[in-house]
Amino acid sequence: MEEEWEPPVPAGYNDANRAFIQAFMARGTLTFPEGQKLVAAILSATEGETVDPQSITQDTFAGFVRTAREAVEPLDYDIRSSRDQLRNGERIWAFINAHSDPATQMATTRSPEEVAYIKRLMDLLFDEYNTVRMEVMAVDEGQALKASRPSKRRESQHVNGEDEEGQPSTTASDRGLKHSEVLSLLSSLVAEGWLEKSRAGFYSLSPRALIEMWSWLVATYNDDSPSARDWQRIKFCESCKEIVTYGQRCSERDCTVRLHDICEDRYWRTRRGEKKCPKCETEWTGNHFVGERAITSRQAYQRGRGGRANGNGSGRRSDLEEAVAAQQEAAADDDDEDMAEA
Amino acid sequence: MPPTQRQRRQAAESDEDEDVHQRLDSPADDGNSEVDHMHGVERGETSQLIKKLVRYALACEYSRTPIRRDGIKERVLGIHGREFKKVFAGAQKQLRATFGMEMVELPTKDRSLLTVEQKRKATKSQSQKEPTSNSYMLVSVLPEHLRVSDIIAPSKVQSADGEAAYIGLYTMLIAIITLSGGELSDPRLRRYLTRLNAAENMPSSNPNNENAPSEKTELVLQRMTKQGYLVRVADNKNAGDDDAITWHVGPRGKVEVDNEAIAAVVREVYGGGRPNEDLERKLQASLKVKERKPPRSAAADRAPATIQEDEEEEDAEGNDEPEPGPSTRRGRRG
Ligand SMILES: [Zn+2]
Ligand SMILES: [Zn+2]
Repeated sequence: MEEEWEPPVPAGYNDANRAFIQAFMARGTLTFPEGQKLVAAILSATEGETVDPQSITQDTFAGFVRTAREAVEPLDYDIRSSRDQLRNGERIWAFINAHSDPATQMATTRSPEEVAYIKRLMDLLFDEYNTVRMEVMAVDEGQALKASRPSKRRESQHVNGEDEEGQPSTTASDRGLKHSEVLSLLSSLVAEGWLEKSRAGFYSLSPRALIEMWSWLVATYNDDSPSARDWQRIKFCESCKEIVTYGQRCSERDCTVRLHDICEDRYWRTRRGEKKCPKCETEWTGNHFVGERAITSRQAYQRGRGGRANGNGSGRRSDLEEAVAAQQEAAADDDDEDMAEA
Repeated sequence: MPPTQRQRRQAAESDEDEDVHQRLDSPADDGNSEVDHMHGVERGETSQLIKKLVRYALACEYSRTPIRRDGIKERVLGIHGREFKKVFAGAQKQLRATFGMEMVELPTKDRSLLTVEQKRKATKSQSQKEPTSNSYMLVSVLPEHLRVSDIIAPSKVQSADGEAAYIGLYTMLIAIITLSGGELSDPRLRRYLTRLNAAENMPSSNPNNENAPSEKTELVLQRMTKQGYLVRVADNKNAGDDDAITWHVGPRGKVEVDNEAIAAVVREVYGGGRPNEDLERKLQASLKVKERKPPRSAAADRAPATIQEDEEEEDAEGNDEPEPGPSTRRGRRG
């Protein structure tokens, strides 16, 4: 009977592999140097003599990753790697759910109100604060708090693909979250490695969350219908083909060419230094941004910041909100224009 | 428990799992033939439920929420509620085989939520069997040498330092609460936090991140409460009175931070790490811990809570706190 059933594991699978998976899951992500340390610690423990992390090659690390991947695949987990858009583009490996949307990913252990809030937060990041004019894909605390309760206006407006699904967030029973609950949720999302909080106070999706959710983001926020216009909410780097939530954009507003800062040098080298958009041939300025710099590079924002202490003072917060509000209005006008044009 | 209509609905909904059947029937899982003999639900369906439970258990552990029996029934089993035993056993096997982990039952939380008077009564009848909590957490079942801190321990998602600081703080708070008789009034907790220089802020999950090196103490306490390290009890009768709020050790706290770990903290903080007979006597009186043995090589520079041994012996002596086992994070085992 079931006592005799043995779960399938890869050939030669052993406790060292199990320790590697445990450690990987606890960390969520690994860089190669972290992987070297981890594998060295495991081999030191199993072999009984100290193994130098520097002696762990890419091949050895890749072997552990491959075995782990094989072991967890039947359970719908996966290990994938990507380069961090910040921090010098370091490659990171992430332990992820193979079929992930934020609801199933985070719903297991969170209340329905929290799940609904996370969905609203995703809408803020990839719809409301990700417009043709302003691809911020990040929110500050004040903006995150404004989504604490469901807003009828927003939810009647559907992003591609949602209409048939009957989103739970629209049910009348969702009373939303208190501000204190939002702050607590945000802090735990940061602690669990789903969100990152920047120096300027913006929340955005972490590299790990992007590795896990980029395909869901495309399915949810991009419009692949034939009538769709060129501009799409989720775009990819011209050089490395991975998602861009922090990088540079073509200065031609409707052009979809995007480039990571970390890919820039290599990319222009392949273009023999000709800094023009490969699609529309507009001069590449390097100061049109995707990500929080879409706001922080603006004069209004920098004026607001001028002369202030670089802390978390409430004074700076309101300046920031003002600057953002001004930009949002501009963006909203812009959207209306676009609608009229279409 | 299982009315017949349940089986009918089950049959009606089984085609949802069609794609999964195919995947599970792939040549990779040759050990599956025995499952054919399972009765009640189809073999692929059982495997599917086992997979769901494994994923549920790992998701709970990831956010340090308890794996509840009710949650398993609601989120994993659905209409297959009566398959609990079989699916649970299968999930345990899968967890051990793939991850080197298993689910252990958490101690019941009820006691820490009782009023002082009820608690006194409960303490008198210590010998009576602990009621079941119907909640579980994941612990490592790997051999001791693979549960050391540089493999498993403090290095969660954001930073090893943040995780270490977090573990240090809840271990300290749990030690203080336990040594205060299992509960602590809110003002006293605040005084201790002030002494720990943590009244307003605590290190964040990534103290090396210059943008957010610290976090509001209230948020960290909330997280500790949510994750089951602490329990905050508000006595409604004296609403408005600060003393009405008391702090207790939560179920996860009891499993992860046992009496030996608490003793280690106390030795570290009050004994300066040196042998101290007076302190040892007090520790034995209040925690029933073993007398301290000569320090082992690795123990000294590790997080105090990882110092641990002889749990089996303690259990055998009738320690009334169940000590089901180790934490995946801290690499211990019961
Ligand atoms: Zn790129
Ligand atoms: Zn262009």
